[in-house]
Amino acid sequence: MQGIKQLIATLHPLERKVVPFLKEGISLSDLVNLTKLKEVEVMRALQWLENKVVIKIDQELKEVINLDKNGEKYKEKGLPERRLLKQLKKEMKVSELDISKEELNVSLGVLKNKAAINLRKEGNDLLVSITDAGKKLIEKDSLEEDFLQKLPIELPKLEPEQKFAYDNLKSRKDLIKTDLVKLRTVALTDLGKNLLKEKLNFKEMIDKLTPQILREGSWKGKQLRNYDIKINVPKVYAGRKQHYRAFLDTVRRKFISLGFTEMTGPIVESEFWDMDALFMPQFHSARDIHDAYYVKDPEFGKIDEKVMLKVKAAHENGFNTGSKGWQYKFDIERTKRLMLRTQGTACSARMLASKDLQVPGKYFGITRCFRSDVVDATHNSDFYQTEGIVLGEGLNFSHLKGLLKMFAEEFAQSDSIKVRPAYFPFTEPSAELFAKHPDLGWIELGGAGVFRPELTKALGIDVPVIAWGLGIDRLGMFAMGIKDIRELFSHDLKFLRNAKVVW
Amino acid sequence: MPTISFSLKELGKLVGKKIAKKDLDPLLEYAKAELDEVNGDEVFASMGDTNLPYLWSVEGIAILLKGILGVKTGLEKLNVVKSKDSIIVDDKLKSIRPYISAFSVSGFKVDDDLLNQLIQLQEKFCHTYGVRRKKVAIGIYNYDKIKFPVNYKAVDPESVQFVPLEFKREMSLGEILESHPKGIEFKATLEGCSKYPLLIDSENNVLSFPPIINSNYSGKVDPGNSKLFFEATGTNKEAVQLAANIFAHAFALRGFKINSVDVEYGSKKETYPQEFKDSIKLDVDYINKVLGTSLSEKQVITLLKKMRYGFEKGKVLIPDYRLDIMHQVDIAEDVGIAFGYDNIKDNKLQYYSTGDSLAINKFIDKIRELVVGMGYQEVMSPILTNKNLLYDMTESKDFGTIEISNYMSENYSVVRSWIIPQLLDLLSKNKKEEYPQRIFEEGLVTSKKTLQDYDRLAVLTAHTKSDFTEVKQVLDYIMDSLKIKYEIKDAEHSSFIKGRVGRVYVNDKAVAYIGEINPQVLENFGLQVPVAALELNLSDLYDSLK
Repeated sequence: MQGIKQLIATLHPLERKVVPFLKEGISLSDLVNLTKLKEVEVMRALQWLENKVVIKIDQELKEVINLDKNGEKYKEKGLPERRLLKQLKKEMKVSELDISKEELNVSLGVLKNKAAINLRKEGNDLLVSITDAGKKLIEKDSLEEDFLQKLPIELPKLEPEQKFAYDNLKSRKDLIKTDLVKLRTVALTDLGKNLLKEKLNFKEMIDKLTPQILREGSWKGKQLRNYDIKINVPKVYAGRKQHYRAFLDTVRRKFISLGFTEMTGPIVESEFWDMDALFMPQFHSARDIHDAYYVKDPEFGKIDEKVMLKVKAAHENGFNTGSKGWQYKFDIERTKRLMLRTQGTACSARMLASKDLQVPGKYFGITRCFRSDVVDATHNSDFYQTEGIVLGEGLNFSHLKGLLKMFAEEFAQSDSIKVRPAYFPFTEPSAELFAKHPDLGWIELGGAGVFRPELTKALGIDVPVIAWGLGIDRLGMFAMGIKDIRELFSHDLKFLRNAKVVW
Repeated sequence: MPTISFSLKELGKLVGKKIAKKDLDPLLEYAKAELDEVNGDEVFASMGDTNLPYLWSVEGIAILLKGILGVKTGLEKLNVVKSKDSIIVDDKLKSIRPYISAFSVSGFKVDDDLLNQLIQLQEKFCHTYGVRRKKVAIGIYNYDKIKFPVNYKAVDPESVQFVPLEFKREMSLGEILESHPKGIEFKATLEGCSKYPLLIDSENNVLSFPPIINSNYSGKVDPGNSKLFFEATGTNKEAVQLAANIFAHAFALRGFKINSVDVEYGSKKETYPQEFKDSIKLDVDYINKVLGTSLSEKQVITLLKKMRYGFEKGKVLIPDYRLDIMHQVDIAEDVGIAFGYDNIKDNKLQYYSTGDSLAINKFIDKIRELVVGMGYQEVMSPILTNKNLLYDMTESKDFGTIEISNYMSENYSVVRSWIIPQLLDLLSKNKKEEYPQRIFEEGLVTSKKTLQDYDRLAVLTAHTKSDFTEVKQVLDYIMDSLKIKYEIKDAEHSSFIKGRVGRVYVNDKAVAYIGEINPQVLENFGLQVPVAALELNLSDLYDSLK
C-alpha cells in the first residue's frame, strides 16, 4: 500500500483532476466532457498515468459519423422540413413560405415522400397544405432529428433506425460527414484499479510553492506534491566552449604546467622561415607546389639580410659547422617568397633567432598550419600542429628520450614507449615516438630530433636544441569521439551543442 | 616517403640468412623504414629517409642487413671490369641536361624478380630523389642492340624521329612531348629548352630521349637478357654518379659482372661506376656527446662497420652509394641506430623552468569566458575561405585579402579577412536548429596591408527578437568586466543596416563594428530571422590598453 500512497503523492494537478473520473473503457472525449479540461490537458494527464502504469491507453482508428456544417445549424434550429411544416396552418402559396429556395426544394421532396403534404397547381402558383400524417409528424422528432442529436456515432454501431436516418441524411448537402478518428479509451491496470479503491483527497496538497504561500505560511501542515523526478525535462542550450578549442586549451595548460613557454609566428610566412632556416634544401620535395600554398600578391616579403646570408652559407657549404652543406646555389629571391605556414617548426626557427630567447629554455606552440590538400575525412587544408623546442648546454639524445617519455606519460597516459629511427630534414639524430595508449594500443605520438648544427649555428645558437612535434589531435579526436577530422571545425549547430566535453 | 615492396624469400637469399617474418620490422628500423604489411611472401614497407635512395630496392636493404646481421660488415666494394665502351657528350647540353653516368652488366640472366626491383628502384629514384626526373632520370637497355660509342647530344625537336617504347610508329621529339603520355607527364623538365637531349649510337639508332622515354628498339629489357646497359642523365653530377653506383651495387649483389663505361666531356674523361672516395674524421667524443652515451672507439668502429662504413687511419669511409653524410652528426646518428635507440638511456632535464602562455592569449581566454557566460556557443571555422562568402554574400567591398595563387579548391582560396561571413554561413546551414542561436568565434584573420595576423572576436545573435540592444549588451558586458572605456560612433558598413551600425573606439583606436545585419545580406544567406553582430579586433584592443 506504500506504493499507492507514494503514487498519489506524485500526481500532477492535471492527473488529480482526471483520476476521479477514470473507469474501465472510458473514452478520451468523455473524460474531456467530465473534467472540463482541454483535450490536450487530459491527454497529457493520461500519458503521465500510463507512464506510471496506472492505465493503458488503447487506440483504435474508427469511422465516426459527425455533424457537418448544415447539420450543426439544423441541430439547433431543426430540420428545414419541420420549419416548413410548422408554417402550414392553412393551404399556402409556396412562394409565400419563409424558407430559402434551396431548403424549399429539399423539404418539399422529403415531406412529399412521407405523405406529410399535398401539392396542387393553381394558375402559375403552386399551393401546399398539410396532411393528417403531417400533423402527426410535427408532434414528435423525426428519426433524422433524433439521429442528429445523438451524433457523433461510430459507423459500425448504428442501430437499424439510425441506419435508416443515416441513409436519408447522407445524400443531403453538408448535413453529416464520416470522419476517420483515433478513438482513445482507457483500460485500467491492476495498479489503476487499486488506486481507484483508495479514498482520494487531493484538497490538502500543494503543487508549486509560490511567494504568496511562503508569505502567508499556508504551506504549514499541508503536503507538497511529490514530483516524478525521473521525468525528462526540456533541453536548454546555454553557452559553452567549442569542443576542439576547449581540448587545445587543455593541451596548452598542460605544456605550461610542464614548464614550457608559448611561442608564435605569422600565418603568412616566407619560404625562408618556413623551410630554408630549417635547413631544408630548396629542391626538397616537401616544398613542392603541391604541398605549400603560395600567396598571390604580394609574392615576396622581406628577410633580415644578416640571418639570410648565414642560412644561405649553411645550405651551400655548411657555414662554420664543418658540414659540407647541401652543395647547391641558394636562391635568395625564392627564399623571400610568401606562403602560408606549412609547419609549426617555422615558429621554432623564429624563436631561435629572436632576441627574447632564453637559454636554457623550453618552448611550445599550438599553431595553425596550411597544406594544399583535398579536404576529406582525414585531411584538412588548415589544421593545428603542436611543436616545440628545448635548448641548453649539454643536451643530447638521451634527454630527448626522457622528454618523449614524459610526453607519452602526460598526453597518452602511457608508461611504455618505443623510439624508432626516423628522418626529418632538419634534425639529426631523428626519432619517431610510439606510445602504448590504454585504449588505442600502440600509436604514433610524434616525431623529434636534435636540430642539425647547420640550422642552429646559422641562427646564432651554440647549444644543442631538441625539437619535437606531437600529434595529440588524434588523442583529442579519440577523447571527443570524433572520427571525421572535418568535425573539428564543424558548422553543425546540433553537433556543437551536443559535442562531448573533454576534460 | 617512398613505399616499396619486395619478396621476403629473395631478401633472405640476398642477405645469405633466412629472415623470419617477426624479425622484419625490428630489422627495418635500421633502414629508418616501417613495415606496412606482409602478404604471403610479399613485404610492403615505407622508407623514411628521402636522402637514402639505395634502400629503395631489396638489394640495398640486403646490403645493410648483411652488416646488421653480421654476415658481412665494413665497406661493400664494387668490382668493376674496365671496358672500351664510351659515351661522347655534346657541349651544347651544358644548359639543358649536362651530366651522364653509365655502365653495363653481363654474365647473368635477368629474371622477373630482378626486373620488378629494377623498375621499382628506377621509379622511386627518379621520382623522389630525382625530383620527378628533373635532377636525375635513368634508362636501362638491351646491351646487344647498341653499337658504341654512343653520342649524348642536344638536337632540334623536329630533327629526329624514332619509335618510343611500347609504340608502333615513329614520332619526333616535339611530338612525343605533346602527345606521348610520358611526354605530357614530364614535359616540364625541358621547359624553356630549344634543343632536347638525345642518346644515339654509332649506327644512328636512338637509345632514348632523356628524361622522357626509351626507344622501342634498344630500350626494352626482357627476362632472359643477360647483357644490359645502364645510364643516368641529369642536372647534378654527383646525383648522376650516385645513381650509377646504387644500380651497380644492386646488379653486383645479384651476381652480375659490372663493366665500366667512359664518358667524354670534350677532353675530360670520367669512368663510371666511380667511387666518391668520401671520408670523415672519426670523433668519438662528439658522437658520445650527441647521443648521451659513453662508447669506446672500438665499439664505435664496430657499430659503424655494422652500418657498412669502412674505417682506415682514423677516418670513417663512406659507402659509395651514400651522399647523405654532410657532418659528423650524421655519423653519430648511424652509430646511435646501430647501437639501438632502446639501449640509450632516458635522461630527465636537469634544470627548472616555469611555463607561461603568450600574454595576449590570457586576455583572449578571459574574453571567451565572458562571452560563454552570456550564453553564447563557441564555434571554430577553417581560416581558409573564399571571396564570394567574404564580400559578395555580405554586400561588402573587398578591404584587402591574402589570396592563394595555387589553391586546390575555390572554396578555400583566400585567408579570411573577417569572421562574421563564416558565422552567417553557419547560421544559414542550421535553420532547422532551435532558436535562439547565439554563437561566437575567436580566431585569426590576416590583413593584406600588414601581412600580419590579428585575433578577432565575432559574436552573432539570431532569433525572432534579436536586435542591436542585445549585441550591445555583450559589448558592454565585456568592456565593463574588463574596465575598458569605449566610445561608439555612427559608421557606414554595407553589411549592416544603415543607421543601426556603429564603430567602437578605445583610446581613439577603432576596434570593432557592431550592428544589425542588412536584410539583403540575410536574404543572400536565406535567413528568416534578424541577426545582430559584433566583430572586435582583440589584438588592437589589447595593444590599445598597453
